[in-house]
Amino acid sequence: MKNQTKKILSLLAAAILLLASAALVSCQKSLPVIGINQYAQHPSLDNCRTGFLAGLAEAGLTEGKDFTVDVQNAGADDNLNAQIASTFASKSAALMVGIATPSAMACFNAAEEKDIPVVFIAVTDPAAASLTEGNVTGTSDRLPVSAQLELIRKLQPDAKTIGILYTLSEPNSVSAIAEYKEKAPSYGFTIEAVGVAAQSEVPLAADSLIAKKVDCFSNLTDNGVVDVLDSILEKTNAAGIPVYGSEVEQVKKGCVASAGIDYYKLGIQTGKLAAKILRGEAKASDLPFESVTEYEIYLNEAACGELNVSVPADVAASAVKADA
Amino acid sequence: MLEVRDIRKIYNPGDVTEICVFDGFSLAVPDGEFLSIVGSNGSGKTSLLNLICGSIRQDGGTILVGGEPVDRQKDYVRARRIGRVYQNPALGTCPQMTILENLSLAEGKGRPFGLSFGVRRGRIEYYRDLLRDLGLGLEDKLSVKVGSLSGGQRQALALLMATMTPIDFLILDEHTAALDPHTAETIMLLTDRLVREKRLTAMMVTHNLRYAVEYGSRLIMLDKGRVVFDCAGEEKKALKTEDVLGLFNRISVECGN
Amino acid sequence: MLDVLVSALTQGLIYAILCYGLLISYKILDFPDLTVDGSFPLGAAVTAVLITNGVHPLLTLPIAMLAGALAGLATGLIHVCLKVRDLLAGIITMTALFSIDLKIAGSNLPIPRGTDTVFTAPFLDRLFGPVSLSLKKLILSCVIALAFKFLLDLYFKTKSGMLLRATGDNSVLVTSLAQSEGKMKILGLVLSNSLVALCGAVVCQEQRSFSSTMGTGQMVLGLASVIIGLTVFKKLSFVKLTTAALVGSILYKLCIQAAILAGLDPSLLKLITAILFLAILAVGSLERRKGGKARA
Repeated sequence: MKNQTKKILSLLAAAILLLASAALVSCQKSLPVIGINQYAQHPSLDNCRTGFLAGLAEAGLTEGKDFTVDVQNAGADDNLNAQIASTFASKSAALMVGIATPSAMACFNAAEEKDIPVVFIAVTDPAAASLTEGNVTGTSDRLPVSAQLELIRKLQPDAKTIGILYTLSEPNSVSAIAEYKEKAPSYGFTIEAVGVAAQSEVPLAADSLIAKKVDCFSNLTDNGVVDVLDSILEKTNAAGIPVYGSEVEQVKKGCVASAGIDYYKLGIQTGKLAAKILRGEAKASDLPFESVTEYEIYLNEAACGELNVSVPADVAASAVKADA
Repeated sequence: MLEVRDIRKIYNPGDVTEICVFDGFSLAVPDGEFLSIVGSNGSGKTSLLNLICGSIRQDGGTILVGGEPVDRQKDYVRARRIGRVYQNPALGTCPQMTILENLSLAEGKGRPFGLSFGVRRGRIEYYRDLLRDLGLGLEDKLSVKVGSLSGGQRQALALLMATMTPIDFLILDEHTAALDPHTAETIMLLTDRLVREKRLTAMMVTHNLRYAVEYGSRLIMLDKGRVVFDCAGEEKKALKTEDVLGLFNRISVECGN
Repeated sequence: MLDVLVSALTQGLIYAILCYGLLISYKILDFPDLTVDGSFPLGAAVTAVLITNGVHPLLTLPIAMLAGALAGLATGLIHVCLKVRDLLAGIITMTALFSIDLKIAGSNLPIPRGTDTVFTAPFLDRLFGPVSLSLKKLILSCVIALAFKFLLDLYFKTKSGMLLRATGDNSVLVTSLAQSEGKMKILGLVLSNSLVALCGAVVCQEQRSFSSTMGTGQMVLGLASVIIGLTVFKKLSFVKLTTAALVGSILYKLCIQAAILAGLDPSLLKLITAILFLAILAVGSLERRKGGKARA
């Protein structure tokens, strides 16, 4: 019996030692630490992160000299997401960065006690996520819905219905659908939105939209849908229906066009914002969140050609070519 | 009084594995009788016990306890008036719980299990006396988990638990079959004593013909769902194990076994 | 360093409530209950909606428990009355709860900083005086975890609690005691899921947000913690099951914390959890074989 107790005690001691050594290693540096909590492995979110670091550099801050970064990826796991954020707070990070809404919310919550400034990137609706009050600022990736509708009207003058796929569990998608439905009539469109509860249902939902004979698809920044974009494109290409993306990566994959956000640029914009806070020039609580005001039009000419979408000369001239 | 009237039971009806165990089987067990049931495998002994306890449902006929039909009662409702001990000692006790907790559970049988304390301090001496009567030295092991007892000790405990509260019937389902001969003898003696002391009506299924002959007031032999031998009273007292064995072998040969 | 320990400890203590729930369904009833993945966010959804509508944060906890109890009741009835297999019954309720959670709270629901949670409510200041938030979180989660541990220990000693333990141990005996095994299973699931929902509610208040996906993997997480706890204390019969669950939960969270601190690749984290899990189970079964004591 005593032997067992000893065993357990030593096990506990080992766990604590492991923790202590890990903590010591990570605490050795005295430079201010920027804790970056990225919600999931995703090209757009990766662009946000690299853009953010580039933005800091553009603002004159050098990694290793002015700050160090601790990048963590939550792998879309809500438990891990919360624990990463609280770890940053426990280690008294100088600044916490949340990429995508869940991570931003977790960081902001964990930062409450020590009042660590939080900067978010790619939060579509900061007000709905309660990220407008307090020591927090960042950039919103609200979709340029009007610009997208205008673009679709120019490329497909006869189109009547736009099909949209979205995942019910993504709040950004739900609010974006509402905006689409509100603005579509003024461009002469009706919206056919199909929501799914799980990613596995996306192909079925795509089939149902195709069966409803929508004139085109328009994508949101919905991870559940974007992750399986290739299989959606296979179906729509076979049916001869063009798909409009919500950002450049989707156009590269084969969407015809997009009035969209460049997440790398969004990252740079946020990096510059963060630099102000790090330098002590401004407080996060005093900086209102920023939205992207300028959108690029991205065009995949090969896809347009295949689907017989004729691109007006003015659009073609101003657009960024984003063929694969 | 337990009456089984015109029972029909078919396993897997409509299937190639269809087996008709009982077709028009009847049996009456008067109060105070200790009935031993013998018979070859598949003769319907255990099925009969399961039908009486409600573990399986008959396809026809009716079962009466004290003149009242119990066909609509679920197994756990019938269990209020029935104590049952199984062949496997593990089925009559809770291995992860102590002897004390097991006895406390058994004493609460049939009443609601509410939020009062499960083990009552005042009853410990009473339990100790009951265990002392078993003569297995369990009275000093009240806080030992039942899982660490031997098969015989567990079966003795199961027997004690099954008869702790007032019951109409005690059903013994080959309850000595999994024990070594010496332990089986001890358990059998204990069973006989408990049945006498508490004046229980008991039904015992056994493969041990000697036990069937030596104990109990009536013996029946089942074959293919029918009673082929039934003796009681003085006739039973005069019965020899060899006679039953002879009969048993004759029937088995007729069956082609 | 101390801060890191405090935060891991707090997480472990909060998740101990989930582990108690799994202790009842998995260890005591031997019921692999996947309802957990749905009742956990259910508790969170209920508490988030109530708090943002101005209900006192403490009051939302029993209401969340009630919601969880209903979820457990659903699984129990599906399993007992409709005779659906245990795993499937849980999956059915979990799937239904996904929609119900969404209907209750919408897809995500933050609790803004201005709104009090149990961790920031004024009554805590009166109780503990002016201490830091992380300390308040630690103390409160410790109080909740220990309170439910003692309540459960007490319950397991009552007649009803003993019968519940007997149900998982030997269901035949429960029938012999003239009690309905089905009713006991339902009772166990109700208890278990009310605890799980309570944990969901506390987690939601602690991290100030509900998300519809927060239930994913909770059953496995809880199970891993419970099994770690049970394995560590296997040979110590005097250690109560609830203590094992509590310690298991803390150990699990400490391990995850260490992995984060060590900068482990998060995409590998689940694999490492699985390997750790397997190692614990394998060591457990090897020891049993060596001991040669094959007892049910």
